[in-house]
Amino acid sequence: MIELSHVWKRFAAPVLRDVSLRVPEGCLYGLIGPGAAGKSVLLKCLAGLLRPERGSVRVFGGAIEGLDEVSLQAVRNRVGMLFQNNALFDHLTVAENIAFPLRRRGMTDEAEIAARVADRLRAVSLPGFEGRLPGGLSGGQKKRVGVARATVTRAEVVLYDEPAAGLDPVTSQKIFDLLRREQQEAGATVIMVSSDIDRLLTVTDRVGMMLDGALIFDGTTAEAQGSLHPVVKQFVHGEVEGPL
Amino acid sequence: MTAELDPMERPHGPAEAAARRALADARELQGVFLRTLYWTFRGRRESGEVMRQCFEVGYRSAFFLSVTMGFIGMILVFQSGLQLLRVVPDLTLLGATFLELLVRDLGPTIAAMMLATRVGAGIAAEIGSMVVTEQVDALRMCGVDPVDHLVVPRFIASMVMTTALVVFSGLVSFAAGGATAWFVFDVQPLTYVNFSLLDRGDLITGVLKCLAYGAAVPIVSGWCGLTTRGGSEGVGSATTSAVVNSSLAVIMLDLVISGVGFVVFA
Repeated sequence: MIELSHVWKRFAAPVLRDVSLRVPEGCLYGLIGPGAAGKSVLLKCLAGLLRPERGSVRVFGGAIEGLDEVSLQAVRNRVGMLFQNNALFDHLTVAENIAFPLRRRGMTDEAEIAARVADRLRAVSLPGFEGRLPGGLSGGQKKRVGVARATVTRAEVVLYDEPAAGLDPVTSQKIFDLLRREQQEAGATVIMVSSDIDRLLTVTDRVGMMLDGALIFDGTTAEAQGSLHPVVKQFVHGEVEGPL
Repeated sequence: MTAELDPMERPHGPAEAAARRALADARELQGVFLRTLYWTFRGRRESGEVMRQCFEVGYRSAFFLSVTMGFIGMILVFQSGLQLLRVVPDLTLLGATFLELLVRDLGPTIAAMMLATRVGAGIAAEIGSMVVTEQVDALRMCGVDPVDHLVVPRFIASMVMTTALVVFSGLVSFAAGGATAWFVFDVQPLTYVNFSLLDRGDLITGVLKCLAYGAAVPIVSGWCGLTTRGGSEGVGSATTSAVVNSSLAVIMLDLVISGVGFVVFA
């Protein structure tokens, strides 16, 4: 369903180096790695928000790297994304934020929109927050509203960029459990970037590790935990001594 | 799976990096311009958004622009009067000359430069801060072209309100100039208010400039905002670039439209 083939992306310097990756349909894929390894850039290439200089990005069976904005929109309509900074629209209420993608994709039945918003707010344990503005929410609440917005369209592919960054351990675990539950119920293909390795590995089917823009490991969660690759081993087990 | 040596790894030299950046900038500006035109006719506006932008661009700029243009009117009439008196001791055409200059060139251009500093900076700062907080990417993921959602309402509002503001602030400037002519040079108001030098070409050129500047400032500033990189420092750079590039665009458009106007209406 999602396939990257020899993808290169650079800004001032290369940020993705010859990345090839295949994520099977219905898989919850965890992407790990130290800071500035290219994880978020990879997600944005998958969503068509960034174009690689070289290589192919295939989503839903078609290459998207050469599509124009209008054609890309058709792909993005089937993809949900939670951003690292939540990216909630400051001037819209929680309910309006969650309903925004539905309205912009042409849904006009206000009763249906309200029902979908209420359902999402129940799923992320925030019922009654419809009228609140993002500025009045805590970090964890914003994250959960972001999850609700990313999943409200029932997207076939959902990309989560650091869904638990800056959250306390209990809230983090709740978020990961919620994302796993959402993925299982919707049957969506999910790619999740997180630095919270311990919790991430409790929910993923497969894991990839990036280092300096390159994908240095791709395998099942069990393989990642038992990997003898010195960098993967050090990162997954949080060891102080090692090549990192 | 591991990284291999590749030409993509080669660091760009300063000249190559600058050339690549200039090319990318030109391509992005062209993209923003074409998409603005496209979405102006094809896009869906949120109710009240254009009116809100008209209020931001027009009402909130009216006082600033009127004061500026009023002082410019006084300075220009005072200086012109002094220079004229050195050559010919006749100031009967002082108002007519100033009016022609104001309608054809000074009114739209100075007002647009002032709007570039106030409106352009605001547009770039607002859009730039949305870029660095990933709200613009979120818009794209929600099926919205950021140009349609963020630039087009400001574009429409700016086209309308720039014209209105130029007319209003031009009147203030002319009146302030008239007061100066009366008190300093004893030119009576009935002598000062003289439309004899104003012709159809001046009016058409002036209106064309209002529309062109009103279009250029939000497009250039929107482009600066949408290409913001980094954090708050990037927003600061985008704001500065918006003011500089919008002012440059106004000056260049002034030259082009004045040249074409001279050829057509001479």
